[in-house]
Amino acid sequence: MTNKESILSTANALRWEIGENIHDSLVESIYKEAQSITSNVVKTPAEKARFNFDVTLDRILTSRWLGFPLMFLMLAVVFWLTVEGANVPSAMIAAVLVDTVHPWLREIFAALNSPWWLTGIMVDGVWLAMAWVVSVMLPPMAIFFPLFTLLEDFGYLPRVAFNMDALFKKAGAHGKQALSLTMGFGCNAAGVVATRIIDSPRERLIAIITNNFSLCNGRWPTQILIASVFFGALVPAHLAGIVTAGAVVGVAVLGIAFTLIVSWGLSKTILKGEASAFSLELPPYRPPRILQTLYTSLIDRTLIVLWRAIVFAAPAGAVIWLVSNIHIGDLSIAEQFINWSNPFGILLGLNGVILLAYIIAIPANEIVIPTVLMLTVLSAKLSGVGDGAGVMFELDETNAVANVLQAGGWTFLTGLNLMLFSLLHNPCSTTIYTIYKETKSVKWTTIASILPVVMGIVICFFVAQLYRLIIQ
Amino acid sequence: MPTRSILFFLTAELSDKEKKMSNTINSNCEDCPVHNLGNLTKLGINMSQFDFVVALAGNPNTGKSTVFNALTGLRQHTGNWPGKTVTRAEGGFEFGNKRFKIVDLPGTYSLLSNSTDEEVARDFILFGQPDVTVIVVDATRLERNLNLVLQVLEITDRAVLCLNLMDEAKRNGIAIDDRQLAKQLGIPVVPTSARQDDGIPELLKYIYEVATGSYVCRPYRLEKTSPLLEKAISQLTNKIKNEFPELPNARWIALRLLEGDQKIIDSLKNGELKNLSRNNTIVSMPKQELVTA
Amino acid sequence: MTDPLQALLIGGSILLVVAVIFFPKYGLIARWSRAKRGIKRVQIEDALKHIYDCEYNNIPCTVQSIAGALVISSDDAAELVARLSSMGLLLTLDNGVKLTADGNSYALRVIRVHRLWERYLADETSVPQTEWHSSAELQEHKLTPAQTEALAAQIGNPHFDPHGDPIPTPTGEIPPKKGRSFLSMNQGDFGVITHIEDEPEAVFAQLSAEGLYVGMHIMLIERSNERVRFAADGDEIVLAPVLANNITVEMLENEKEKIVSPMDTLASINIGEEATVLNISKACRGQQRRRLLDLGIVPGTKVRAEMRSASGDPTAYNVRGALVALRKQHAQMIFVQK
Repeated sequence: MTNKESILSTANALRWEIGENIHDSLVESIYKEAQSITSNVVKTPAEKARFNFDVTLDRILTSRWLGFPLMFLMLAVVFWLTVEGANVPSAMIAAVLVDTVHPWLREIFAALNSPWWLTGIMVDGVWLAMAWVVSVMLPPMAIFFPLFTLLEDFGYLPRVAFNMDALFKKAGAHGKQALSLTMGFGCNAAGVVATRIIDSPRERLIAIITNNFSLCNGRWPTQILIASVFFGALVPAHLAGIVTAGAVVGVAVLGIAFTLIVSWGLSKTILKGEASAFSLELPPYRPPRILQTLYTSLIDRTLIVLWRAIVFAAPAGAVIWLVSNIHIGDLSIAEQFINWSNPFGILLGLNGVILLAYIIAIPANEIVIPTVLMLTVLSAKLSGVGDGAGVMFELDETNAVANVLQAGGWTFLTGLNLMLFSLLHNPCSTTIYTIYKETKSVKWTTIASILPVVMGIVICFFVAQLYRLIIQ
Repeated sequence: MPTRSILFFLTAELSDKEKKMSNTINSNCEDCPVHNLGNLTKLGINMSQFDFVVALAGNPNTGKSTVFNALTGLRQHTGNWPGKTVTRAEGGFEFGNKRFKIVDLPGTYSLLSNSTDEEVARDFILFGQPDVTVIVVDATRLERNLNLVLQVLEITDRAVLCLNLMDEAKRNGIAIDDRQLAKQLGIPVVPTSARQDDGIPELLKYIYEVATGSYVCRPYRLEKTSPLLEKAISQLTNKIKNEFPELPNARWIALRLLEGDQKIIDSLKNGELKNLSRNNTIVSMPKQELVTA
Repeated sequence: MTDPLQALLIGGSILLVVAVIFFPKYGLIARWSRAKRGIKRVQIEDALKHIYDCEYNNIPCTVQSIAGALVISSDDAAELVARLSSMGLLLTLDNGVKLTADGNSYALRVIRVHRLWERYLADETSVPQTEWHSSAELQEHKLTPAQTEALAAQIGNPHFDPHGDPIPTPTGEIPPKKGRSFLSMNQGDFGVITHIEDEPEAVFAQLSAEGLYVGMHIMLIERSNERVRFAADGDEIVLAPVLANNITVEMLENEKEKIVSPMDTLASINIGEEATVLNISKACRGQQRRRLLDLGIVPGTKVRAEMRSASGDPTAYNVRGALVALRKQHAQMIFVQK
């Protein structure tokens, strides 16, 4: 026997003798020594282990009566600031990138004698897709993330997890899933990465699979626009804003409900188990450093969004242009697909245009609405709106959008189901890729991608049939 | 039914530390740096051709990322919740004509518990053999943080304690005798408030001194455990010391073997453990007088 | 457009059919794949395990007992025995069967997988303890030797399974049986549970429903033919002797360890109250236990309840200056002195 082997066999023999308590007694003795060192060097004020301000604030933020209302209020304020604040800069960016640079690029391409199809792919396809992503995404993110980071720096997020743990426990999930869920409101890919704070593999998988039910930034614009066209229009103008906001928040809350229901379902079937280890350290409140937070989240996130726009939205833009301009027979590929899938879409209370838009928009949810509008105009053969086949556009006026959609045969049901489908469909490609990177498993990535879209189809189908049965 | 497939791991790409060009000991301190921030060049993510590797360890939410940012000039996102740093970050800085690569390890409460984060941190400190391990601790909960500090000191001889969040401690009326703490632990202790950049120059100075060997640490080692365990440990430690006389942390290795740590078993089998002792000869040179802060 | 009612009915029935086919565990596919798995190999391995068990416990093992344990007919059992002896795994004796050296090490390999898997479930997952055994019964026939060793390495090469049974080493070593039957204790004796037999499942389910776990300290109060009454974790537990017979104990000699008197748990202290930790229940295992220890919850630590979550659970405790939130179910496993 070599010396190495003899070391190992001695260790093995000794392990049988000392039994299973070695870890406990080791940690106990480390703490004993830590205690004796600390008692020599640390002087604490008598009987005041925690700062008074912290105690008071904690009592309020986690109180039985105020805890949840304050939490919803704070999240509502963050969302409201995001939605309201993003309008103006979004319009400004769109004015520059779409209204100014786009024609200008066309002229350059024309001056260079580029063939029409190259101009189409590059300027109307790639450039416009990128422009939309940047103008729709950047402002809300630039507002949402700093606000969120301020709450985070202050130390509020762990309190959210603390308050919501009982719900997640009932669903068989981990309390820290509340943290990744809130991160998902910004971006699902970020939410998926944030699930790393969950130690247990089972509960981490649940958090990853359900993160898609957090309505991400790319989907807020869809929700808001469709809600204002179809829900806002149901009531008098002065109530429209509140009803619209209510509908959007309703979908977001529905998303949280789905998170809990699906977590529960998973923990009862393929990811079976009870809620396990939970210990969460609640850090002391710290005054956030506002300037640095603004700088970090603005600069960092801006770069990420721009990069994302180039990598994912640009090819999608090219595809959109191509499918609307390559003709098979009399109709473009897009129209062929729309006509073919329309019956199925109608069955789900949607239509062929929406299905095609969601297939094309797998790379980035942000381009769903511009794509839907463009395809509607294309397939309904409207004239006077838009800039031609395969050219994405967005209309400034809600009324104009409503007109286009009505011409495309949309009803209240279509709007409602689009909002549901926007909540319940496959994650965007960035998120899918992130899920794969985090789980290293094709199986779980597939489940995480397919499950929401199957749920979306099933739920849209039943909502559509019930709606037709009861209301129409 | 759970299956094997849920046993997935985050892959921590822990590259072995690249070979260093030279590793000189600077005992008479002729070219010691002037101890101020003017001497610091933040290199961001430019880490080519470094002379020393610095590991940054600590409990979650002790401001490790803030210290990392203060040293490298990077702006890694910091947040006030435990476990914020989910990816290992690396950066660089230059100080006193030496280039340092600094690795921000995931925040852990311990190095004994085999969670993924803890394995990443533990493996880097043990096998990555950083020239200096900076342990960032929260001054307001020193006792809890010392759990990790004592464990790190079992593994490595070259460490600096960064007593962070001193501003918070002061606000809460907590006073810490850092000289006494340094004397007890046998490593430099630097009180800092990284959010205000307080104490960073001193931290740099000690990182430099420990890296170059002009400050020789005499780390505190655990002694007292239960009699039964103690007997087993000493029996095994002696055996290990016979086989690897140069190993600086034989007792700790013995403990890990008694806990059935597969990584250590493997490294014993494949000889990696032996490499640790060879590289560490520099540490086990005749000790100079104990320098206290 | 399709008639909504018709569509609803069709949609509903499609959903039903899909559920019947694909539903995890109860669906047709799951049942079919369960039925299909290597019957022969499973039977061989289960038979070896049974014979090994008999030998370990010094109970005679016959064709009948094999038939009983595997729930097969005596003819099938006889055929199986013939097959096993032709494979050189067992010898047929006058009074029954006996494992050969090969058979012995084969049985130990299967047992190793079984116990390792139970330990994995106990330490790293939140699978309820009544399901450990049935899950391990499946895995023991599935895992390859390489997978087994990877699993062992991942959970720190444990030496005991959560029921207190020793896990054989990869080379097939296993220490002799220790401890004594619960029924051999006398009134007033202190003991620690070292083993709870996990078969038959119904009995184990009852024992675990009583909250019994390996490592529990107990004191016998009363033993009669009708019942066994004992104190544990501050509670009094009454068992039928036939249940108690499935428990193995070791006597506690050390005076300091003789604690079974009523104890408070961390979950029972009110907000603002302080208590000192006595110990953590052995029912708290693996990751969860290690995390509690890491956070500084060790015997002697002073802990104060600071606040309760808006939804009533968890509660935040001040542990060594840090605020740590624990769920009630875990706080109940930490014994304290008010």
